[in-house]
Amino acid sequence: MKSSSFKTRCSYVIMGLGQFLYGQRIKGLMYMGILALYLWYLITAGIGDMRGFFTLGEVEADPWLGTAGDDSVIMMLRGILSFLILAAVIIFYLANVKDIKVTERLVGDGKPLPSFYRSLLSFVDKKFYVVALFFPVIGVLIFNVLPIIFMILIAFTNYGGNIVPPKLIDWTGVDNFIQIFSLSGIKGTFFKILGWNIVWAVSATLINYFGGLFLALLLNKRCVKGKALWRAFPIIAYAVPGFITLLGFKFMFSYGGPINYYLKAMGESSIGFLDIDAGWKARIIGLLVNAWISIPTSMLLATGILSNMNNELYEAAALDGAGRWKQFTRLTLPFVVFSTTPTLITSFVGNFNNFGVFYFLRGGLYLDDYFLASDTDLLINWLYNLSIDNNYYGIGAAVSLIIFIITSAISLTAYVNSSAFKKEDTFR
Amino acid sequence: MKKEKTSEVILTYLILILVSFVFFFPVLWLILASFSSSGSIYDFEGFFPKGYSTATYVKLFTDTQMYDYPSWLRNTLFVSGFSSVISTVLVILTAYTMSRFRFRMRKPLMKTTLILSMFPSFMGMTAVYLIMINFNMINNLWSLILIYSAGAPMGYLVQKGYFDTISNSIYEAARIDGATNPEIFRKVTMPLSKPILVYTALTSFAWPWSDFILPNMLLKNRDLWTVAVGLTHLGETEFSRFAAGAIFIAVPIVILYFSLSRFLVAGVSDGAVKQ
Repeated sequence: MKSSSFKTRCSYVIMGLGQFLYGQRIKGLMYMGILALYLWYLITAGIGDMRGFFTLGEVEADPWLGTAGDDSVIMMLRGILSFLILAAVIIFYLANVKDIKVTERLVGDGKPLPSFYRSLLSFVDKKFYVVALFFPVIGVLIFNVLPIIFMILIAFTNYGGNIVPPKLIDWTGVDNFIQIFSLSGIKGTFFKILGWNIVWAVSATLINYFGGLFLALLLNKRCVKGKALWRAFPIIAYAVPGFITLLGFKFMFSYGGPINYYLKAMGESSIGFLDIDAGWKARIIGLLVNAWISIPTSMLLATGILSNMNNELYEAAALDGAGRWKQFTRLTLPFVVFSTTPTLITSFVGNFNNFGVFYFLRGGLYLDDYFLASDTDLLINWLYNLSIDNNYYGIGAAVSLIIFIITSAISLTAYVNSSAFKKEDTFR
Repeated sequence: MKKEKTSEVILTYLILILVSFVFFFPVLWLILASFSSSGSIYDFEGFFPKGYSTATYVKLFTDTQMYDYPSWLRNTLFVSGFSSVISTVLVILTAYTMSRFRFRMRKPLMKTTLILSMFPSFMGMTAVYLIMINFNMINNLWSLILIYSAGAPMGYLVQKGYFDTISNSIYEAARIDGATNPEIFRKVTMPLSKPILVYTALTSFAWPWSDFILPNMLLKNRDLWTVAVGLTHLGETEFSRFAAGAIFIAVPIVILYFSLSRFLVAGVSDGAVKQ
């Protein structure tokens, strides 16, 4: 610190002042402008916003007395925003400190200082990544990071149910989590849904994976002529937007739909496949419909992997007298499973959070012994019912944190395992 | 490999025909339904309509009293078009930067996006919904465009993979010739990235085109509905209208996927630096 000159130290206190005194007028003024803007923001709103973040409002609106009252949700959002702005200003401050040191060294070496335009050009060139990433990062911050932080915080408040603005919201610590694991209605629902969710994710992943592998192997056979044509049918299924497929299947299984038409034609009475009391019928239809949607994707994936396989391996195996089944279990399967472990786990996580299938097939049904859910709903559907349809924001946010913990634990295991796999060069 | 036996060949083809039938029949059913002369699903003989006509398509575009399909289509095009342009710019910039430059924040940024992507996509959406309500931004097509585009850079990995394949020597050569980084991006990278540009533009067009959840949450006003939201409001008695509307937006996407696969393979395999 001692070696730094007075002008440099000026910039430590008031960012930009040093640059200004060194003669870099425009840059200095810009830094000082940012500081002035921030101070103005702090005084007019910032300090209040930060305080509001912790209190979440003190005055409740009273229509009789005409009191406006505090809006806790807005206060929390503005609070988060004020901390993000603070972080941005700190980044600017650090850049300013770095910049003034460079300037000081240039002056000390007796070199001329670059003009504003020149230094701007060289910044855009040398720090191209900062310029290029500026808008993407801002966008992700506002529309991904801010909402997620907001939701994480909501999980620790009593927001939801009867307590929505203009009522005041309070921090309640881990109450929501305690409720999920103890309150009888919610607890029962949570564990029933979690159980079904795991069964669903495992079976859907296996069906899709082996279905796709089977199709790819079938299309890979030598005797199959016109592969592109055969492949086109699953690709059409893959390309049709998911919601159209799902709504189409809903119509297919509806009371007036073709399946029930043929049942009636055979003298049976029609079946409510997707009714509230459908139980396993609806679950199995869900699995099949999901297979119809997802098998083409895994077929394409498996086709790609099979085309990388070494044919010599098979010839050697055939010479050693290995039969077709043995070739499949000893060569094909290990190779494919080896190369697709990461995708297998991503698809498991994807199926775990598969919102569309049951939302479209039978959304909005509530069973009596479930809390705002039905027996086909996955955790993600329950989350939707809780937060979007019924305003249980706090509990919904807690459920989404639990989903995050489960899926990230799975993904992490996958990540660790796949890098461990990479070290083994079994198939290279 | 040995040649397969005749019985096996027959079995293989039988399975193939069955599989193709399973995948194609529901699509065919919808196509037939869209040409049904009667709108209600109750007037069908099983999978097949009793009579055929193109009246449903005409009705789709002229009978807009209850279900204004042309306006849904306009809204969808508007949202998808703008999202596609903005997303492509943001994604390409992100992917190129992450692939080409090594800077202090690179790893942290990559790890952050990885962690962010593990949150259920839905969780952020609930919050976005709350934020949009509180800032009075629901019932606005621009807020959809904003959300789609702003979230797009999170999916930069495919594009980064493409840029990773471009040899570094081409950049070094440009650098030696005195080109600055913005110039390199404009004059070297852009011409080389046409295939990935097309791929990004098309995929980021297709996503809002077929998304339902977000517009359903944010567009409460009937005239702002997109096709996806509108179609879910059609019941059993409007079945052929649903089918026609669905076919009409599915066909461009299906064609797009088929043309895309060929384009991509051709584009990616033509390396710029031949070795």
